[in-house]
Amino acid sequence: MSAELPTLLLIPTGIGCDQGGYAGDALPVARLLAAASGCLITHPNVMNGASLYWSDARIQYVEGWCLDAFTRGALRLRPQRRQRLGLLLDAAIEPELALRQRQVFEAAGATLGLEIGPLISTDAPLGVSLRLAAGGSSWGSLERPDALLRAGERLRQAGATAIAVVARFPEDSSAEALQAYRSGSGVDALAGAEALISHLLGRHLGLPCAHAPALAPLAPMAELDPRAAAEELGYTFLPSVLVGLSRAPDLLPPEHAALPGDLSIGQVGAVVAPAGALGGEALLSCAARGIPVIAVQSNHCLLQVGAEQLGLTVLGAPDYCAAAGLVLALREGLAPRALCRPLPPLEDLSG
Amino acid sequence: MSGPAAPALRLVPLELELSFATSDWRQDPVGLCRRALAAHGEPLRWAITAAEVRPGGQQWLRLEAVLLVP
Repeated sequence: MSAELPTLLLIPTGIGCDQGGYAGDALPVARLLAAASGCLITHPNVMNGASLYWSDARIQYVEGWCLDAFTRGALRLRPQRRQRLGLLLDAAIEPELALRQRQVFEAAGATLGLEIGPLISTDAPLGVSLRLAAGGSSWGSLERPDALLRAGERLRQAGATAIAVVARFPEDSSAEALQAYRSGSGVDALAGAEALISHLLGRHLGLPCAHAPALAPLAPMAELDPRAAAEELGYTFLPSVLVGLSRAPDLLPPEHAALPGDLSIGQVGAVVAPAGALGGEALLSCAARGIPVIAVQSNHCLLQVGAEQLGLTVLGAPDYCAAAGLVLALREGLAPRALCRPLPPLEDLSG
Repeated sequence: MSGPAAPALRLVPLELELSFATSDWRQDPVGLCRRALAAHGEPLRWAITAAEVRPGGQQWLRLEAVLLVP
């Protein structure tokens, strides 16, 4: 097998992706691409299945703001065996629900052997609100970013090297939207606000961060879509976040002395994304650097921001199995077009 | 509880429509978008949610963003 080909897997959150738009339901894709590439860099939306998770030393778990900075060349990644986890709880979480989060944190140490560090509650409720944009994608906001950052700073001072945040989310005001999501036909209304919380903290602290929402348990639903089911197995969404962060890479500015094994954007050999969602910063940075973009046509979403609309050149893949084949071809140094028929004609510049 | 001073910031949603010469767009797509957003605040999260290559060599975009504003 050829040397690993660091590959980025991007599945934007809150845009209703068929794969990756629910509860960690792109995890099988991540596992496949990790095997094909030998080194996969991806973000919590792909890996977090609430109570379900998968740990693979070939997968680097990097929050979205930091992933954008990595693709701009503003951060390097240093793979780690272990992080010391801090838990940041929103003061708006009711005592019983907060107790559940604390117990999951303790269980991650007792049962999984993760290194459990300090925990803190914010000094004011964070005030999370949800918002859908005109096009239907999920955004949201936070009334007290200052309280979030203060608590994060205290965890860092107390020795946490990675931070899991749990914020109290509003119980979905639109029963229709929640029903659609649970039935497998809607957008994850929480996702946009979740991304903001982890972006804000990751940007401010320079530490691996990820978020789990705190919500009251829902009544069981017989027709629950399997892709959403991982969120209905327990009282919290925290286990997958703790496991992901426990082996997240350190985030280093470019001026920090490099060590063998560090990952920089110059080493990335491919980026894989849904064909209709190519308009994110990480993807565009990669495309501008000439990194091959593999656009997966089967992963439909709300957006239609594809290669044609953006004037990008991409390698089209009908599904993630084909995308894994392309990653493997690139890893082996094969020209993807040599695998297609008919072969393209020569480009003759002489005439 | 008295903690270290965290900066007072607001999160502000923004939607922008932009148009660039395709030659400029292909050279530095991220830089063009970030500079356009930076006129309104620091981009915390953004994405292109609609796009079109228009006649006359223009790249049209709609950006949705959340900005950090002091």
